[in-house]
Amino acid sequence: MRLRTQTAYAFLTPYLLVFLAFWIWPIANSFWLSFLNTRSANWTFNPRVTWGRLLVDPAFANALWNTLIILVIQVPIMIALATVLATLLNSSMLKARGLFRFAFFAPVVVGEVAYAAVFRLMFNHEFGIINKMLAVASVPAIPWLSSPNAAMAVIIIAVTWRWAGYNAIIILAGLQSIPEDVYEAATLDGVSKTRQFFFITLPLLRPVIVLCVVISVIGTMQLFSEPFLITNRGGPGQATETLGLFLYRQAFGAFNFGYASAIAYTIAALAIVISLINLWLGRERE
Amino acid sequence: MAGISLKKVVKRFGVYEIIHGADLEVADGEFVVFVGPSGCGKSTLLRMIAGLETISDGTVSIGGRIVNDIEPADRGVAMVFQSYALYPHMTVEQNLSFGLRMTGHDKADVARRVKRSADTLRISELLKRKPRQLSGGQRQRVAIGRAIMREPQLFLFDEPLSNLDAELRVQMRVELARLHKELGVTMIYVTHDQTEAMTLADRIVVLNAGNIEQIGAPLDLYDDPANRFVAGFVGSPKMNFMAGRIVETNNGAAIVELVNHRGARLRKPAVDAPAVGSDVVIGVRPEHFFNAGEGDCDITIKADVAEHLGSVSYVYANAGREELIIEREASRQRANGDHLTVALRADRSLLFDKTGARVR
Amino acid sequence: MRSKSSAEFRRKIALHAALVPLALIWLFPLWMMFVFSTMSENGIFSPGIVLTPSDQFVQNFVVLERDVGFLRATTISILVAAAYTLLSVALTSMAGWALASYRFVGKGVVLATILGTLTLPYFVVVIPQFIMVARDFGLDNTWFALIVPPLFNSLGVLFMRQTFQMMPGELFDAARVEGVKEWRIFLFVGLPLARPAIAALSIILFLHSWNNYLWPLLINSKPAMMTAPVALGSLIGLTKVSWGGIMTGAVMLTAPMLILFVALQRHFVAGISAGAVK
Repeated sequence: MRLRTQTAYAFLTPYLLVFLAFWIWPIANSFWLSFLNTRSANWTFNPRVTWGRLLVDPAFANALWNTLIILVIQVPIMIALATVLATLLNSSMLKARGLFRFAFFAPVVVGEVAYAAVFRLMFNHEFGIINKMLAVASVPAIPWLSSPNAAMAVIIIAVTWRWAGYNAIIILAGLQSIPEDVYEAATLDGVSKTRQFFFITLPLLRPVIVLCVVISVIGTMQLFSEPFLITNRGGPGQATETLGLFLYRQAFGAFNFGYASAIAYTIAALAIVISLINLWLGRERE
Repeated sequence: MAGISLKKVVKRFGVYEIIHGADLEVADGEFVVFVGPSGCGKSTLLRMIAGLETISDGTVSIGGRIVNDIEPADRGVAMVFQSYALYPHMTVEQNLSFGLRMTGHDKADVARRVKRSADTLRISELLKRKPRQLSGGQRQRVAIGRAIMREPQLFLFDEPLSNLDAELRVQMRVELARLHKELGVTMIYVTHDQTEAMTLADRIVVLNAGNIEQIGAPLDLYDDPANRFVAGFVGSPKMNFMAGRIVETNNGAAIVELVNHRGARLRKPAVDAPAVGSDVVIGVRPEHFFNAGEGDCDITIKADVAEHLGSVSYVYANAGREELIIEREASRQRANGDHLTVALRADRSLLFDKTGARVR
Repeated sequence: MRSKSSAEFRRKIALHAALVPLALIWLFPLWMMFVFSTMSENGIFSPGIVLTPSDQFVQNFVVLERDVGFLRATTISILVAAAYTLLSVALTSMAGWALASYRFVGKGVVLATILGTLTLPYFVVVIPQFIMVARDFGLDNTWFALIVPPLFNSLGVLFMRQTFQMMPGELFDAARVEGVKEWRIFLFVGLPLARPAIAALSIILFLHSWNNYLWPLLINSKPAMMTAPVALGSLIGLTKVSWGGIMTGAVMLTAPMLILFVALQRHFVAGISAGAVK
């Protein structure tokens, strides 16, 4: 191939301008900001009030704890559910496939604000449809949004509802890339359907599932809209405050950009570390 | 005028050199075929002439002008690709005219050329169709039709027939020969199929592992190959190679004994014969075995398999780990396991030294 | 034969018995969104269970329009999403084309930078973006702020690069030998052949912009420049608020995307499974 530097940059420049201005420069800039005391009139170098504060701030510890709790409970449930959904939706015996796909995939197109509003209303203590239906089954009303644990459960339920279908789409694509003759060979060998799932499907799906886990971990680390809107800014108290929400409050409530940048880089580092652990666990073994 | 001249042309990808200094002169109006096994560098050399690959070293001239730094578009060449490279979203007519339309040609002129090109390739009734509605042979015609639109002085073909079935390939081969006669322009044609090379070429360039092994007219290569590689590559079925040893040299000749056929000796003229005792190779084409007693020495082999093609039969034999293919007159009698005695003639065999170079 | 087909029948029943209730649960929030949007305030907060739509949609919408000027916000959202999609497709396909088609000085650096920063969380860039756009250049509450900063989309670039890489290179070489200029090859050969990929990418981009919440929330705080999600979000959490109105807005945000999803499901699925999602 000929060297065509000029032509290439003619095509690249418009994107590169945006990329440098709104992606690369901010990445570098927020790293620098994370060492500055941005609460003084002149921003001065003082990592003790940013990185140093992270170590001792109970509010940060709380947000980190909440985020990890959601991560540890929600991601496995959702990925398992998505895998099962994808497998069932891929079954050749399924009738009305389009309707089922619509049911599970539709949440993918629903915006954060719209679904947050519905969940908030459905889980209302006094008038929410969930408690009304529980009452029919003689279950006493649960204070969904005013009890710390219940509020956490609502966040987990909401996120799972919104993202399970999304992951199922990716896993379904992975399923459909497994050649049919692998299953035909197994059937001829007398391997049962259940065993086929555990010994053929799951191992072949592992790279896709790991990808889903990584995407979900990065997403959960940045959870913001759900606690912001459904549980009313991380309520009750700070019971559902996530790292994303904590960062939002520090940056755009208190305008403490330095501290918020340190939080942002903590989120990035955690996301990368957890993703790497997942990739390592899911690596191809000899 | 579009003669081509390659001088010490080298192609490197990083540290890998894949063309090691090619020299070639092509006369105006000549049909030259590059042939060689896959990976020999023949397509790369063609793409360097087209300007699609840069030239690492040496010069390429077209019509007397060095074109190393000239864009493909300005070299006055047309190219037909192995995959045909037809634009799938355009009709045949749009495919033909795309290049001229995009480079600001007069509309009436373009229309005139489309008509002429379609007439030449007999694709006038296909003009409104999309490529996917065409058969393989029709696509190939459109690809060639597109190449003649710009009325270039030099045509480059990159394995254009390899996606066609055997019958169509023969048919298109004849058409290409006709087209060359009609247009009278220079054509360079890359193929791995030596039959195509033999039937189409004025001259054949045999490439192997980035080197030009030999350049010559088809029958010259067949009769007088420069080395064992060319001897083995040109001709079908392949030339047989039999292990030999020099047992005596005298008066500019060498006596060679066939290692796997005790007592079989040939006297080959050899100016620079290898020393007595050297290992050599005797090459014999399948059609150059004669009836027992009618040559210079006889060998007897056991036939493993016989293939009857109707006009001739090929006998496959195995002698001391050497595969032999022997052409015989057609006969239903020949069967597996028969013993067969045939004769060799010194003037119908070739002598190669250990390195594969021809000894004359 | 008989026993085999009856076993198959049992499996079929089990499959549907598992999926039907699950599907109903999954559809429930969407259905309730619609039901709530048609109920009066008294209806929503009455003790009885209502699962069927009522007739108050228009009244609810009137309230919503009075509270936040939802029509204007929706118009802004549509214009922003359309402009963003158009620009982003143009930028990413040009960049993808360059990275797929050419050898050039600095290609390794560009690719490594794009790949190396791919998975960084958005929070890492949002603070400097905000400082730069709102404070340094005073561009908050402008169309520029809504459309341009979110245009970085490395996944889109990689997606388009892969699309062009998978096309046979001889197609473009054929045009090059004929003397067609590179930008015309891109425009008249590359882009038309990339149509399915561009369709998938456009849909995902449009959806992304339409639902985008955090950035517009930060940058466009003036009611006159609010996008629809921000306008709707501003009502959530207020004590004296019409839930019927909010639900009407939620339906108006969601229904067009659902219709689009049903009509173009193939492209949605292609876009998501190709990872062309931010």
